[in-house]
Amino acid sequence: MKSKIYKTTSKFALVLIPTLTLSLSAIAHDPSLHVKKAEKADCSKMDHSKMNMKDPVAMAMMKKCKKQAKKDHKAMDHSNMEHSKNEDNKKLKKDHQ
Amino acid sequence: MKTLKILLLSFALTLGAVAITVYSGFVNVAADEPHSDLVYLLLEEVRINSIAKAAKSIEVPDLTDPELLLTGGADYEYMCSSCHLKPGQHESDLSLGLYPQPPNLAISSQTDTANDTDNFEATARNNFWVIKHGIKASGMPAWGKTHDDQRIWAMVAFLNQLPSLTPMQYQVLTAID
Repeated sequence: MKSKIYKTTSKFALVLIPTLTLSLSAIAHDPSLHVKKAEKADCSKMDHSKMNMKDPVAMAMMKKCKKQAKKDHKAMDHSNMEHSKNEDNKKLKKDHQ
Repeated sequence: MKTLKILLLSFALTLGAVAITVYSGFVNVAADEPHSDLVYLLLEEVRINSIAKAAKSIEVPDLTDPELLLTGGADYEYMCSSCHLKPGQHESDLSLGLYPQPPNLAISSQTDTANDTDNFEATARNNFWVIKHGIKASGMPAWGKTHDDQRIWAMVAFLNQLPSLTPMQYQVLTAID
């Protein structure tokens, strides 16, 4: 009986070990390599003093970073923030009354 | 009469050889098994000459507008970099797995598809043609089916600058805001 169990186990092991090894090697590859995410331009590393402003690459980079800075500024619209603050204050006052 | 017999026999033999090659399944089409040097050389010559002939009459527009680099850069990142790599990258799954191996366009010596590597215009028009029409059985798609000429020229403009870009410059030019 014991030898039968031993034989069955070893047969399973013979099939399972290579299968597991192969499947693990298949998922070992980093899936993040296949993911493309939209990312912002990293303008923080740009050294303006070393850039030749007649070079199309430098000009394109400046354009990109300016555009991005404008967008970021718009995203943080202070006037709206102030406005919404006032609205909130008004609501609060009404609630208290 | 004898000559005709020989001609017919040669024709039948050639036809037989072609049929055996096509139907026997002996030809290995696996991408991880390279062509022999001779076959590779012949295919390479066919490709180079075909592109040069087809692209001969294409007029190259002004590619110095910085805006082209921004449009072309974003397209390159999303459409091409997986196979043709980017500054600082030496291989990818696709660059290793495809056969023929896609050229690393981030390295200057391999950006050229023209016979005359010094000819900037020839390189530009050849690159335009390849991007627009693709290359049969190579994994290179015909982007012209989904992209207009202006967008393809922007990619050509970006390709002209690509070998000289640092990873930082590449990141800024290709980022999508």
